[in-house]
Amino acid sequence: MINVALQIAEEKIFCSGHHACPGCNEALAFRYIMNTLGKDTIAVVPPSCGAIISGPQPLSSMRIPVYQTTLEASAASAAGIKRALKAQGKDHVQVVAIAGDGGTYDIGFQALSSAAERNEDIIYICMDNEGYMNTGAQKSSSTPYLAYTTSTPGGKPTAKKNVAEIMAAHRIPYMATATTGYLDDLANKVRKAKEIKGMRFIVILVPCLDGWGVADNEGAKVSRLAVQTGFFPLYEVENGTKYTLNHGSEGIPVAAYINRQKRFRHLAPEQVESIQQRVDADWEIFKTKFNS
Amino acid sequence: MPEVTKVPPVWTTGWTDILNTGTWRSATPGHQNRLSPCQTACPVGAEIAVWVKQAKEGQYQEAWLTLAANNPFPAVTGRVCHHPCEGSCNRGEYDAAVTINALEQFIADLALQEGWSLPAPADKRDMRVAVIGGGPAGLSCAYQLRMAGAEVTVFEAQPELGGVLRYGIPAYRLSKEIVAGEIKRLLAAGIKVQTNVKVDAQKLAELQKEYSAVCIAIGAPKAKLPPPFSGNEPGVLNGLQFLLDVNRAQVPELGQHVLVIGGGSVAMDVARTARRLGKEVQVMSLEDRQSMPAQEEEVLEAFEEGIVLLDGAMVQEKVKENNRFKLTCVKVTLDATAPAGVFKPIVQPGTEFNLVADTVIVAAGQDPELADFSASLPVNNNLLTVDANQNTGQAGIFACGDVASNERFVSMAIGAGKRAARRIEAFCLGRQPGDGAAAETEPVAYKEINTFYFPMTPRKEKEVLNPELRQQDFREVKLAFAASDAQTQAERCFSCGHCIQCDNCFYYCPDMAIIKDAMSEPSYSILDQYCKGCGLCVEECPRGVIVLKEVKR
Repeated sequence: MINVALQIAEEKIFCSGHHACPGCNEALAFRYIMNTLGKDTIAVVPPSCGAIISGPQPLSSMRIPVYQTTLEASAASAAGIKRALKAQGKDHVQVVAIAGDGGTYDIGFQALSSAAERNEDIIYICMDNEGYMNTGAQKSSSTPYLAYTTSTPGGKPTAKKNVAEIMAAHRIPYMATATTGYLDDLANKVRKAKEIKGMRFIVILVPCLDGWGVADNEGAKVSRLAVQTGFFPLYEVENGTKYTLNHGSEGIPVAAYINRQKRFRHLAPEQVESIQQRVDADWEIFKTKFNS
Repeated sequence: MPEVTKVPPVWTTGWTDILNTGTWRSATPGHQNRLSPCQTACPVGAEIAVWVKQAKEGQYQEAWLTLAANNPFPAVTGRVCHHPCEGSCNRGEYDAAVTINALEQFIADLALQEGWSLPAPADKRDMRVAVIGGGPAGLSCAYQLRMAGAEVTVFEAQPELGGVLRYGIPAYRLSKEIVAGEIKRLLAAGIKVQTNVKVDAQKLAELQKEYSAVCIAIGAPKAKLPPPFSGNEPGVLNGLQFLLDVNRAQVPELGQHVLVIGGGSVAMDVARTARRLGKEVQVMSLEDRQSMPAQEEEVLEAFEEGIVLLDGAMVQEKVKENNRFKLTCVKVTLDATAPAGVFKPIVQPGTEFNLVADTVIVAAGQDPELADFSASLPVNNNLLTVDANQNTGQAGIFACGDVASNERFVSMAIGAGKRAARRIEAFCLGRQPGDGAAAETEPVAYKEINTFYFPMTPRKEKEVLNPELRQQDFREVKLAFAASDAQTQAERCFSCGHCIQCDNCFYYCPDMAIIKDAMSEPSYSILDQYCKGCGLCVEECPRGVIVLKEVKR
């Protein structure tokens, strides 16, 4: 049973009437991020689904200031706002950048890496739906191996970039992965990030119903399968060294995960098997990071 | 330097909550209590998901009241019910079915220990009913009618009420104190009783005049006698009569070697009773082991107690020598094309074998004793014929239990008694029967359960006494749960179709379109203005309480 009640305050920072698609898991993630961070927060959002969900001008779904910046500049903008707040003596205000995987893995990566290297006092959240879903489902460097996108009609030939490990390698105070099927875990990680100073990074896997070809009601279920099959383990890394595994592979075959998504429906059985082998190999390497 | 103008406190002109995203919707979710598969399978129609939920919350008295609403004998059925509920339990497809029967026993025993009493009957209404037979069916019928405000008199041929509960089922399966306790509590509701009264055709006619309705629930006490055995033969006993005698502590002379004929629960009861009297016992059944009607666990327990089974066999010839039977037996198969209830054994040549027995106890099925009623009431296949309303076709005469059914289970009889009571009530008050039945819908299916929310937990069985101890006397074989077991086992229940206010629907809505109000029923409502009809709440409801319905505009 989820125990979100014990972990979050329903402050209603995020409100109804937003323009996310029916069943959108990104909107669900927004609800728990914003309500956990609370009203003393300024958000920075680059072009993305998040910009649609938090906007559109002159209306907003977030009862806090939201600054819509350029696609490259989320981390830099957030760092600047935080420094300005500090100069004004308003250090208690959190600044959170919420970007998509395009704005994180690809276009915003330089600004993000530099902000991490400088250990800027911001929270950076990547809403990872594994592609440029807002513009019609093009491939990003987060798109998984063999997934269909409109720019990889035969399936993406290369692997998904491992942004979690890249960010952990910056030795930032806090790096975590989360997903919508585990809402209490997600809310808990946002709350933990809120209590830490310095650069904090959370990548949240948010199934895109339309872009992945998932049924409107199954986003959370599919996100859970990503975890249970070992596709996307949920873990935390503190200071680049201290690893904690929250939810990992339960040995469920990856077919259970990919069969529920139309972006994988072109795959031949041996291709499914090759995905399974990659996931198994990754999981074996990954396991060695935990001292337990 | 320009003057710093004040930053406006609000950076937008408004919030999105003025928008009506509900207009996008093509389907609307709705919370509703739905049938659980255990309830559909339950012979008494008990609201199992409800009382298990109450038990889960530690509200044992409320749980017992829910149980007792459909069944005045939960401590009895908690011991002897064949529990089809567990067979249909959705959890069975996941790890293992919930131990419903053991939980029922735990709660019902607690009720007896604590002396909880039944709720007061409804105000008196113009219904005077005679119930003939004080077994499980008759008493269940009497109880339901009394609770509905009727004046009920039970006529019982034996000196005490209870029927098979008292005189049939042996004490090692059903303690007689339990039976006495539940009957006493039931009578306290104000049911009149006349014991030692055998109702014949003339008495029936009198009752018909005196009462607004009569219910016949006289059971099926007459043993079937398969050849080559006949009645009144020394050394051949009737299984039910044997159980009755032992239950009254009048043990007949048996000799050392006993052969029991039959493959049902009564045969097992007879064999295990004889074993407890220190005899060498063999059971011979026409059916093979797989198709014997006895419950699997009874057969296994009988084996543990040292009883030998000769399945798929029958006696061909018997010779009496030195006060013992020398029996020629043969292996048989049953003709599968024979109609239900009819046995056509096919002898397998060359499989003859010999047996010696001091006593043969026949427990190969029972028929009702219908000699007194067959002139005035319809009889077919040795049963009183009744319609779906338990009516015999004669105005005001109803029948229920073994006298009118071949489904010879205690809980089936209790269920039939309840059904008859509803029909009798409708008859007495001049209403149309069968109102509630139409509302029945499909129970929640396993695929509607979101098993993510239920970690696998082991099922615990009732503990069973070791076989050595069992054979010494008639102490109960199955031991009741401790309170801690009851709690952990109750928590395994999915509560199919029954909202337990877990708030999952509330938390999983991306549109904040579900509001909760613990005081209202149901505890959640859908905000029409915002709900986009995605169905995420339906999927994330662990127990199938939310149903998505198409919107017609």
